[in-house]
Amino acid sequence: MSEPRADRIDGLAVRSLAVGHGERTVLRDVAFDARKGTVTALVGPSGAGKSTLLRCLNRLLLPQAGTVLLDGADTAELEPTALRRRIGLVGQVPVMLPGSVRENLAYGLEPAAVDDRSLAQALRAAGLDAAFLDRSAAELSGGERARVALARALTRAPELLLLDEPTAALDAAAAHHIGTTLTTLAREGLGVVLATHDLAFAANVADRVVALRDGSAIVGAPQELLA
Amino acid sequence: MSQALTQVLASAAFVLAAAWLAHRQRLGLSRSLLTAALRAALQLAIVGALIALVFEVPVLAIAFVAIMVATASLTAGSRMRALPGSRRIAIGAIALPALSAVGVLLLVGAFDATPRATIPTAGILIGGAMLATTLTGRRLVEDLTGGTDEIETRLALGDRARDALAPLTRRAIAGAMVPLLDQTRSAGLVTLPGTFVGLVLGGASPETAARVQLTVLLTLLLVQLLSALLTAELVTRAATLPGERVAVPAAAR
Repeated sequence: MSEPRADRIDGLAVRSLAVGHGERTVLRDVAFDARKGTVTALVGPSGAGKSTLLRCLNRLLLPQAGTVLLDGADTAELEPTALRRRIGLVGQVPVMLPGSVRENLAYGLEPAAVDDRSLAQALRAAGLDAAFLDRSAAELSGGERARVALARALTRAPELLLLDEPTAALDAAAAHHIGTTLTTLAREGLGVVLATHDLAFAANVADRVVALRDGSAIVGAPQELLA
Repeated sequence: MSQALTQVLASAAFVLAAAWLAHRQRLGLSRSLLTAALRAALQLAIVGALIALVFEVPVLAIAFVAIMVATASLTAGSRMRALPGSRRIAIGAIALPALSAVGVLLLVGAFDATPRATIPTAGILIGGAMLATTLTGRRLVEDLTGGTDEIETRLALGDRARDALAPLTRRAIAGAMVPLLDQTRSAGLVTLPGTFVGLVLGGASPETAARVQLTVLLTLLLVQLLSALLTAELVTRAATLPGERVAVPAAAR
């Protein structure tokens, strides 16, 4: 069940990672690969360190020890804002920024690089049609916000996407829909890493599971770990 | 009954009424109201006794202004304790704009370079700077603590820490300017500001009083804006961590 030591992984290679808050260590010696084109699920009870680990992958938090490699390059050496455009994060609470859906999707992008066609494409990939572009983001429902947050991450053309509890605010049908969206995106080459406490959801979408328990991580196939 | 005694009794009665009302409404403010009133009474009594001396001896006047800045900085700093270096932030944001403005006003001769004219002017400008610093700092600490999801969202979309904080600082600065903007707009209509009242009570002509008041009010607009901007800049620096990350204050007060 141990991961290969070869570090030239097409995607994320997590090695000997220790994460926590301040002095407290929540997880130690975590090692797994999250390749592009696959879905990796971080599972475990709340407080197991899923969100903390996820945020160490795009360096919103710094790990206490160990390394995270992206395509073989140490993420600590990469420019943080460029790294975060390559590794998108969709938080558990889909925060809508002021303005329209279009303004949300285009947030932080070069105006010259933005056109409605590419924004609509990101919306469609997230399961919304182009008519949403002109809607005010503040008026959207919870499920629509989750999709706009996903589309907003996609407009940066990320190589990998991190999602924190993507089904937390959704009903069963919407959760199924987002699962299908994520597996489709992975088939198209995106690397997906999601943190979830929902084992059934993880079993449905994940190619690989990282189970976080008692401060360490066990890596395996869904049928091994989620049976 | 002398007018002095009546003034003391009337103001004491009003403070007690405020404290009682706060107690009845369970606002947890009664003690603060009473101690603030007592402090003001003590401080004004001491200043009243000393000010004649201070007006005569320029060295004492400088010391007096230094005490004003120190007190204002401690007060404003305590309102954003959750941030590292809050006291230093407050000193910089208050002293720099307020004292520079006093310097300019003296240099161009808008006021006589005497302690009698300088100390009250410095006091008003330092007080205004303190208000702007407190309002900006408090709002920023609240928004930093309550807005972590929004900040993280902006960082995750590729913002630099400074850019992720910019909407918060703009809101805080705009909010901090509201009281002064309202006061300036309504000057003479709703409120007769302190300088005007003081000068008229002191025997100055209403025309002189209005002119001095206007000078102070308009100077305050720049002083308070600079204080708010400086506070925002210093808080932004204090909250920015290496690697384009943002530090969330431990707890808002």
